[in-house]
Amino acid sequence: MKDSADAQASLEAVLKDEIIRMYQEVADDPAGEFHFFHGREAAELFGYEAEWLDRAPAGAVQSFAGVGNPHERADLKAGETVLDLGSGAGLDAIIASWGVGATGQVIGVDLNPSMCLKAQAHAAATGTNMECHEGRMEEIPVADESVDVVISNGVINLSFRKRRVAEEMYRVLRPGGRISITDIVSAKQLSQSIVNDPKLWAS
Amino acid sequence: MFALLEESGFTRVKSAVVPRFRFRQQSTQNSAEAFGVKAVMMTALKPAGS
Repeated sequence: MKDSADAQASLEAVLKDEIIRMYQEVADDPAGEFHFFHGREAAELFGYEAEWLDRAPAGAVQSFAGVGNPHERADLKAGETVLDLGSGAGLDAIIASWGVGATGQVIGVDLNPSMCLKAQAHAAATGTNMECHEGRMEEIPVADESVDVVISNGVINLSFRKRRVAEEMYRVLRPGGRISITDIVSAKQLSQSIVNDPKLWAS
Repeated sequence: MFALLEESGFTRVKSAVVPRFRFRQQSTQNSAEAFGVKAVMMTALKPAGS
């Protein structure tokens, strides 16, 4: 049992590095070729409003690597606190900040500290007050019952411990709070060769 | 994921396929389809009385 737990922890550590590497690459080389659509092309594909994409900092738009549009059903209201799980370069957090207005608050969480800095710089460039915490979605560095809405875009599928992520989202939400997330799911069990290959899993 | 949300206490869990999602490379898209991989939007509530 301990061997199994150790192997899982070891795989998770390698996966963390691979996820940081892959999404850092998207941020550093937005013109690069990836197997997924990214940047403005992807955001337009998922129905992000042109006005949002024109208004947001170019760096945040270019680094966008989501799989859908969590804003579509987030129904954000002025004054709400939003948590963006896996905030990346900050596009979704910035759009959310426009939804909650000056009386609201947006908190980002990302595995990669340099992405947090980038997101905060992008947010500051739009006059948005966004705080971003380096952390894992399995241990969200946010207090119990402190947010109204959790949004996330293409991130939870990267976790080996999705049950834990669901429990953490529940913990940080206030009673009556909600989630609006877009993510990748698989109808079939992935083969062990994929599960054990951080490069494939991070993809 | 749907079941995990319900088991974690969320209610009114809803999901819908993101219709326009696809991988850029056809070979990746083919592999994804073979595994039933798709993008979904999920919404759920934490009960007010919890």
